[in-house]
Amino acid sequence: MFEIKLKKRLSGTGGDFDLNLNLSIVEDDFISLFGPSGSGKTTVLRCIAGLTDPDEGFIKFGNKVWFDSVKKINLTPQERNVGLVFQEYALFPHFTVRENLEYALDKGQDRKIIDELLYISDLKELSDSKPQRLSGGQKQRLALARAFVRKPSILLLDEPMCALDRSTRRKIQIEILKLYKRYNIPIIIVSHDMTDVFKLAQKTVMLENGKIMNSGTFSEMFNKESDRKSEFVGEIISVQKNNGIYIFTILVNENLIKLSVSDNEIENINTSQKS
Amino acid sequence: MEILSPLWLSFKLSIIAVPLLLLTGVPAAYFLAFSKSRFKHIWEAVVSLPLVLPPSVIGFYLVLLFSPNGYIGSVLKSVLDVQLLFSFPILVIGAVIFNFPFMVNSIKAGFESIPAYLIEASYTLGKSKKETLLKIMIPNIKPAFLTGIVLCFAHTVGEFGVILMIGGNIPGSTRVASVAIYNEVEALNYNAAHFHSLILLSVSFIMLLILYTVNRKYKGF
Amino acid sequence: MRKLYLIIIILTGMGIRLYCEKITVAVAANVQYAFEDISTEFTKETGIEVVPIIGSSGKLTTQIKNGAPFEVFLSADTKYPEAIFNDKLASEEPFIYACGSLVLWSAKLKEINCSPEYLESDRIKKIAIANPDTAPYGRATIEFFKNIGIYEKISSKLVYCESISQANQYILSEAVDLGFTSKSTVMASDMKGKGKWTEVNESTYSAIDQSAVLLKYGTDNHPEGSKKFYKFLKSKKAVSILENYGYIVK
Repeated sequence: MFEIKLKKRLSGTGGDFDLNLNLSIVEDDFISLFGPSGSGKTTVLRCIAGLTDPDEGFIKFGNKVWFDSVKKINLTPQERNVGLVFQEYALFPHFTVRENLEYALDKGQDRKIIDELLYISDLKELSDSKPQRLSGGQKQRLALARAFVRKPSILLLDEPMCALDRSTRRKIQIEILKLYKRYNIPIIIVSHDMTDVFKLAQKTVMLENGKIMNSGTFSEMFNKESDRKSEFVGEIISVQKNNGIYIFTILVNENLIKLSVSDNEIENINTSQKS
Repeated sequence: MEILSPLWLSFKLSIIAVPLLLLTGVPAAYFLAFSKSRFKHIWEAVVSLPLVLPPSVIGFYLVLLFSPNGYIGSVLKSVLDVQLLFSFPILVIGAVIFNFPFMVNSIKAGFESIPAYLIEASYTLGKSKKETLLKIMIPNIKPAFLTGIVLCFAHTVGEFGVILMIGGNIPGSTRVASVAIYNEVEALNYNAAHFHSLILLSVSFIMLLILYTVNRKYKGF
Repeated sequence: MRKLYLIIIILTGMGIRLYCEKITVAVAANVQYAFEDISTEFTKETGIEVVPIIGSSGKLTTQIKNGAPFEVFLSADTKYPEAIFNDKLASEEPFIYACGSLVLWSAKLKEINCSPEYLESDRIKKIAIANPDTAPYGRATIEFFKNIGIYEKISSKLVYCESISQANQYILSEAVDLGFTSKSTVMASDMKGKGKWTEVNESTYSAIDQSAVLLKYGTDNHPEGSKKFYKFLKSKKAVSILENYGYIVK
């Protein structure tokens, strides 16, 4: 359905690098674009949406060419029907919740979808409120709903949950799946959060320094060596000694884990050292 | 009433000039805020020129241009048989010129304060640049418009040098309040000078008060 | 020996000071042309430099009343110097140094006259006059209009100028069709031959008697110089210059 080939020179904190990406997307795809910040993920979304131009490339949706650097075709964002959910939500502050959705309607489009989305996103009670009055989660739901109004060809989510706490994040993930199943639109989600990756996407593309390092399903990518012990990043909060055994309290992704380590395994470990 | 005529003229001049300034200023501000042209800095200098030029220079060149044998004046005379110099219409032209930077810079600052993502969101929702400008951008920079309008209004009422040179000080048509006061002081009619001055002072102060009070209510993005 | 040197230095200093003495004279706009010649003659005779400040009589009077540093004032009427004298800003009573005439002048039109029909006609769109509130020649012009009964009809054509100077400027640059100015203007060598002028009938306006007054500032700061100049205005040389410029000196 979608063919995407992008090349663009980007500047990062470590210097300049080239974004080089080839992606094929089919109708039902839910792809996560995963990688450290500054690897070019947001740029990929912006190029698909038409907000940024790749230096070289080719973007085709079905039979329609959206971008072709050789033939000098470059459709404006208005001409591509893309749903983009910005990191900052980009809700229009002078419109109410309902008006934000209504603004998205195409000329002559049936207004039914507005009420449908208000209902699905559980925002009906708030339809006459302004975005400033909404909580983080409510704002996110509105931004999502608005992106669906025009039944876009593809939905692009740029770090949609980075500002939310864990329980709200879970709710939004459910929300996204709901909308995905209802409207059947391919979705690309950009995230550096693991839970987004394994809960939502069926395919993951790992991007680092502008190049695809790896791609495949979650299990293919992250569970490769099954005899390897689990690895994760955490911060040592405190150490207690109890009968010759050291008990470490470690903070991992908002969870506190207690780990017991015996005497002879302790060597050169200091408090608040990340390991 | 004759004594109110200068005040009415000043007011009339502002009321006519301000909408013209909005019509010309908004497109200019849009261009300066969003254009990626390499020559933008030249345009910015041109727009800001009336701010730093002495009013006598602006007045001098306007007299030169609109005099019946000036470049513009002669064309007007032969084609429309009309002389704009020393008439109310040329005050309007002068007012638009010397207020242009005030209006443009206020609106430009407003445009530049809009987060790019709001504009981009509107584009991705299929809305044209024009629709985005009218429905998203302008409604969100109301304080900038208010600032521009009030500044231009007050500055027009207060302008003196340019009007003195191009107006001809004609009672009932170009003798605006600022010029009338100057006249009265010269002719030692201090009572009349006080009358007009106090009214102008009060009106200017009230306008500024309105501006700052209304702007207080607006928070940022 | 030392004492001699000292005396010489002091005397030289005084002499230099006398030679470099400068006086400031406020001059009504219409007199500026004649004034140039008068002050040149005066400087030749006395070595004292004269700096003219030119403006409308009304404006200059306001400035004098507000402490402007002028030593002598040549007005275009008698009322302003009288007002200054009554305000105790003058050292002597003013005297009439000249009587001026009003003329109609146009750089644009080939044939001109002062008749009511001509001035009311559509050909004449803009008429420059000195502001009657502050310039005596402007006052006289309005009198003239009223006396020949056309003031109401032509008042919308009038352009009010800051002074005779500005009126002259508008007339010369053809920003207006014609204007009313002082005879001394059209008699000035620079203006001779430019455009066409005609005298306005004397009986249609009160005589423009022009007074001069010696100001307190002058007697306080340059007593000799200012008094010399004031007297010089009555001298044969000055009178003949004024007459050359079309003034009548009684």
